[in-house]
Order: sequence, then structure tokens, then C-alpha cells
Amino acid sequence: MRIVVAEDLVLFREGLARLLGESGHKVVAAVGDAVALVEAVAEHAPDLAIVDIRMPPDLESDGAKAAVILRASHPNTGVLLLSQHIELGHCLGLLGTPGFGYLLKDRVLRLDEFEDALQRVAGGGSALDPEIVQALVKSRAASALDALTQRELEILSLVAEGQSNTAVATVFALSERTVEAHMRSIFTKLGLQDDGTTHRRVRAVVTYLESR
Amino acid sequence: MRPLATRLLTALATVFVVAAVLLELAAGEVVAAAVDGTGLVALVMAWVIVMRLPASPVGPALAWCSGATGLVRSVDGVAAGAFGDQLASHAHVINDGIWPINLAGLLALLLAFPDGRLRGRPWSFVPWLFILGGVLILCGLWGSDEPTGAALIAVLLGLTLVGLTMILAVASVFIRYRRGSDLERVQFSWLVLAGALVVALLVTGWVLEALGASLAVAYTPFVMGIAVLIPLAVGVAIVRHDLFDIDRILSDGAAWVLTLLASAATFGAVVLGVGQVVHRHTAIGSTAAAFVTALALLPTHRYVSEGIARVIDRDRHVAVVQVERFAAQVRGGQRQPEEVESALREAQGDAALRLMLADGEGWVDLTGQAVDLPGGVVLESGGDSVARLVLSRDSARARRRAAALVRAAWVPIEVSRLRLGLRRSQTRLAEASAAERRRLERDLHDGAQQRIVATGMRLRSLQRGLGPRQASEVDAAVAELEETVKELRRLARGVRPSRLDDGLGPALEQLKESSPVPLDLAVGKVGAIDDSRTLTAYLIASEAVANALKHAQASRIRVSVEKAGDSLAVQVVDDGVGGVPSHGSLTSLRDRVSSIGGRITVESPAGIGTTITAVL
Repeated sequence: MRIVVAEDLVLFREGLARLLGESGHKVVAAVGDAVALVEAVAEHAPDLAIVDIRMPPDLESDGAKAAVILRASHPNTGVLLLSQHIELGHCLGLLGTPGFGYLLKDRVLRLDEFEDALQRVAGGGSALDPEIVQALVKSRAASALDALTQRELEILSLVAEGQSNTAVATVFALSERTVEAHMRSIFTKLGLQDDGTTHRRVRAVVTYLESR
Repeated sequence: MRPLATRLLTALATVFVVAAVLLELAAGEVVAAAVDGTGLVALVMAWVIVMRLPASPVGPALAWCSGATGLVRSVDGVAAGAFGDQLASHAHVINDGIWPINLAGLLALLLAFPDGRLRGRPWSFVPWLFILGGVLILCGLWGSDEPTGAALIAVLLGLTLVGLTMILAVASVFIRYRRGSDLERVQFSWLVLAGALVVALLVTGWVLEALGASLAVAYTPFVMGIAVLIPLAVGVAIVRHDLFDIDRILSDGAAWVLTLLASAATFGAVVLGVGQVVHRHTAIGSTAAAFVTALALLPTHRYVSEGIARVIDRDRHVAVVQVERFAAQVRGGQRQPEEVESALREAQGDAALRLMLADGEGWVDLTGQAVDLPGGVVLESGGDSVARLVLSRDSARARRRAAALVRAAWVPIEVSRLRLGLRRSQTRLAEASAAERRRLERDLHDGAQQRIVATGMRLRSLQRGLGPRQASEVDAAVAELEETVKELRRLARGVRPSRLDDGLGPALEQLKESSPVPLDLAVGKVGAIDDSRTLTAYLIASEAVANALKHAQASRIRVSVEKAGDSLAVQVVDDGVGGVPSHGSLTSLRDRVSSIGGRITVESPAGIGTTITAVL
């Protein structure tokens, strides 16, 4: 797939571009700041933009702000944010939405998982770092999620990471039908009606992440 | 009054005075002419006032104080035959009853001083009553200085009315002094000073007379005093009332005079007393008297000046005492030195008064906000400007009072300035330390961590060309690197939890996650808090929780954060063994809290648990 990489630290940027190239992707642009990122995406219309959350000009959360802009202006380009640590702030609204991912940087070293996340985000799915999901789950206050069973919560947390039912079934050694049954139960408990689209799944994840 | 009228009246008075002097000179009465000539002083002052304040009746009133005498003397001169017998007989008819005119100028002056207006409507009857009384006396004494029957009754009634109006005029002066504005009181003070001197001259006259001096010698200073001092005082009061610190002069002068009299009395009493006991004229008496007098001098003076200050300059005295009491309360710890501005406002009677403290090149208020208002009274210490008092009602008198108050409040002002300076430097340190932690955390993330991950990526690239055995070696190496990154992340969190960027709540949630015992967290709506307070609140909570886990064997911990007014309250309660001393413990927490101007309290009854509360 065609990828734009935005990362201000050269060592990391070149390393990532090289890895991506070796995995068969085409890095169409590798830039060092948020302004250049937005320009590069406008120029190349890539499948995916991999963006460091902390970049020039102000070294705070320019990456996150650029992500919000890109998701609105280029819905066909997935955005995968990379961060050294959990820092949600500006991209809270994007969590769990289609075509958006958020991973800790060291996740890059697990090539298979990383590749999987790239594919999901570029394909309009979502990918969240398990550590982030865990932080959000643990810190949630009393909410609609209290009605869920432990197993349902576990399943939902994997769904929130962006995993498919098949992948969830593999992790818990369940049949796919059982996972689907759990999902239906989750939708009911969260009060989500079936409106014939896949949005219900997304909304469940959003509810899950927002109720932290 | 119309300017023309005041000028005409003053001119008329001048004419009479000059006429009287000329008539007396013509009659060869040089002494009388000299005495009347002193009336010219009043005329000069009157003209000065008329020129300065053409609409004020004070000028003509002052002129008529001597002008009236001039008129009476002129009539007297005419009656004595200065212009022929026919005129003399006419003048003689009214000569006996004309004397109340002597008082007219004084009455007008007393009623109109200092601003030229009467004190309210009822007072406008006073001049008419006076005129009525004067006319009654004139009619009663028409052509005869021994009235009988109806004429006698008219004279008596007239005398009563004239006396009553004079009493009312004097009363009006006292009422004005008691109720008058600052300015009026200063103006009256001049009059009081002159009046007191005139009385002193009168008393001197009595003493001289008793000692055998002639009437002329004894009372001439008194008469001259009336003629010269009173007009001078009126003139100064109207034209240059802030010439000197008149209240101070008045009270200090009176205090010294009274002290002197008291000392003389003491001296005399001791000499007499010793004379009675020893029955011989020896040096013992005067030596003892000198000793006793010297001993009593200073306490007497202090006592007398206190008393006089209370009577003459009551407001300032009360104000200074008020500020001194405040300063004493600050010394005793009952009040905070920072309340000095409100204490000064109250004492000065100026609700918009501002106290500014010197801060480097500029000025700040008591909370440390930069302000710069022009003017004001400067307080200096060792050549440096320490504070400045800016008055909303500024006048020379207000400034003098403010200067006295600022001197009385010197210690609280200096203490608040020093405390403010200390607090500000502590805040700067705390901010610097928060910024340093943030930088360190960033360096860890952007420096070491990035390099490790980059190295990991190179290893992954290398891995592609390797056989399965070497590949698994690389896997192990990369796993090691991942652990190192996690380790670094934990380390950075200890320096400054990155979740603090998302707010205090999320950061404390992270603390809750890592706690092995149940931790109840209650974070109220705290809004936006500055970085150093956020960090301090977090570090207090984390250190208190760590202590509870490590030392108190707590089984449950409660952390609550809420906004209390402008400050942030952090409380950590555990159910552990307690017994933490309330002082001398948690030194690092205390330093941290005090560095941003907060307080921390520890309650730790043994066996019940520990409650640590910090207000930031």
C-alpha cells in the first residue's frame, strides 16, 4: 500500500521507511512536521499516513491535531498515530472510529502485529494499542459497561483494539458463533439497535472507550 | 455675594478705618490712632481675600471687624466736634447706642467662615436677630445714656438679642469644626491657633497687671493680638490653609505649653513642700524640685500630647492608634501582615486607597500582581523605596496623615513585602522544577526510547536475511529492547507522569491502577490548573499512597481532589497503623507544598489511620 510517514526524528523515520519498504509497501513521502504531512497527504492521497503524535512546529500534539484534520479532509486515507507513551488529549474523539489507529512506538518492532494494524486502519478499520485499551478500561468510571459480564468486557476490549470476530474467537478459543452471541448481548446491554450497518460495532467500541 | 458688593463693602470699611485714624490724629490722640491703625492689617488681609475669592463674604466680614470699629470711632470723633457743633449734636444722639456695630464684623466672620456660606437655613435668622437687637439698643439709648420705662425694656431686650446672637455665632464655629470636612477643620485650626494665642496674651495681661504694670502696657499686646493675629489667621486659613502642618503645630505647641505649666507647677509645689518640711531656705528644695521636674517632664509631655492630639486632631490620632493596634496584632500573630492595605484604608477613611510594594524595578500589589499608579506617598527604608501608598482622595492633609499611618504600619508592610518576595521566588523555583521534569521526561521519550526502537527496527531489517537460528536470536534481542523501552517508560512516569498532559484525573487513575490495595478516587471538577500545582498535587497523592502502602500497612486508601475557592485541596486517607508525627515528618512533601505557597496538615492517631491534607 502507499504510505506517508511523518516523524521528526530521522533515525526512527528512516528505520520505519526501510521496514515498510521491505514489507512490500511504498513509502511515497517521509516528512518531518505536521504542516508537511498535510501537504504530502494532499499531494499523494495515500492509503495510510503513519504519524508521530509529537512533532514540530510546537512539539506538543501536532500529530494528533493533524490526524483530526486529515480524517476530516481525506476520509480514504487511514491515519495511524504513533506515540512514545499514552497521551490521548486531542485525538480522544477519533478513538475507535474507522480508519484510525493509535499504537505505542515499540509496537513497530512486532512486525506481524504492526502489519496487521496497518492493514486494518488502511482498510477502514481501527487499531488501538492494547496498553491504551487497558488504561482506558481500568480507569473507566461507573457506566453503561457495568452491565457487561467479565467475558463480554474482554471481548469488547479486543474489538476495541480493532480485532475481527474471527480473531477474537481464536484468542479465547471459542467458536465464531459464540463470539457473535456475545456481541449481540453486548449490543443489547448497551442499548444499540441493529440499523443494518456495521456502525453498531463502531458505536459499541466508542461507548466502551468514552466511558473511561 | 456679587463681587461688586464685596468690593464696595470692603472699600466702605476701609474708608471708615482711615477716617477714624485721621480724626484721632486730628484730635491729637496718637495712641488711639495707633491702636485703630492696626486695623489696617485686617483690611490688607480682607483685600487679599477679596482679590482671591471675590464672591466670598469672608473678605468684607474681616474688613468690617476693624471697619465697624472705625465707624464707631468716626461717629465718636464727629460727636466730639471734629466737623462742627451741628454735626456733633446729631452724632451725639446716636453715639451711646451705636456700639453693637463693633460686633457686626466679628459676627459675620464667625457665621461665614471659612467657606462664605451659612450653616443651613435656621442660621440665616441670626444676622436679622442681631440687627433687631442693635436697632432696639440704638432706639432705647437715643439721645440718652440713662434710659427709663419702655426705652429701658428695649435696651434690655436688645442686649439679650445681641448676646444671644454672639453665643449662637460662637456655637456655629464649634459645630462646624466638629462636623466640618478635612479642609474646614484645617481652616478652623488656624483660627483656633490665633484665638489661643490671643487668650494667652490676655492671660499675660492679667499677670502683668497683677504685677503692677499699667493698663496700656498690660493689655496693648492683647488688643494688638486681636487686631493682627486673628485677621492673619483668617487670611492664611482662606488663602494658604496648607501652609504648615497646622494640626501638628497646634497640638505640639499646646502640648509643650501645658507641659511647661505642669513642670512649673511641679517645681513650685516641690519647693514649697520641701520649704514647709525643712523650715529653712536651703538648696535642698530647689535641687529636689529640679530632680522631680526632670523626672516627670517626659511622661507628662507624652501624656499631655496624647490628650491634646486626641482633642485637637482627633481623626488622625484615632487613625494612627488604629494602625498601631493592627501592627501589634500582626506581631501577636492574630492578623496577617497582608491585611495591611485594608487596615490603612479603614484608618485613612479612603476605601480606594492602594498599597504598592517595590518589586525590582516595578511595583506590585499585595497579591503580587503588577500595578503602576502614579503619585502617592513613598515609604523608604535604608534609602530604597519599599512601598508606595496611592490615595484616591489626595490632598496635602491626606498625604500627611497617610505618611503618619505608613510609618505606623512600617513593620507589616515590610513583612508582607518580604513574604511576597519569598513566595514568588519559591513559585519560580517550583515552576523551574516542573519545567525541568517535563524536559527530562521528553528527553527520555524522544532521546533514549526513540534510539532503542530505531535500533530494534534495524535488527528487524537484518533479520530478513538470516537463517532460523540467528533469526530467533534477533527475536530475543528485540524482545529485550522492548522490555527496555517499557522500563524507560515507567521511569519517565516517575519523573513526570505523561498522563498529566491529559489532566490530574487521568494521572491519578493511573496511580489507582498500580495500587495493590483498593484505592477510592474522588476527583471533583477542578478546571484548568497550572502545571506546577498539577504536578505537586499528583506527587503528594503518589507519595502519600506510597507511604500508606510501605509503612502504614493500609488495606484501603482514599484519594480526593477538589477545588476550594482559588485553591486545590488534595486529601489522602488510609486505614493503616497511623502514628505519623504531625511535625517533622514528610519533609519532602512539605517543602514541595510550601514551594508553591500551599499548606499541608497531617492527622495520624495511632491505630486509626493517617489523613494527609494539602491545600494548594
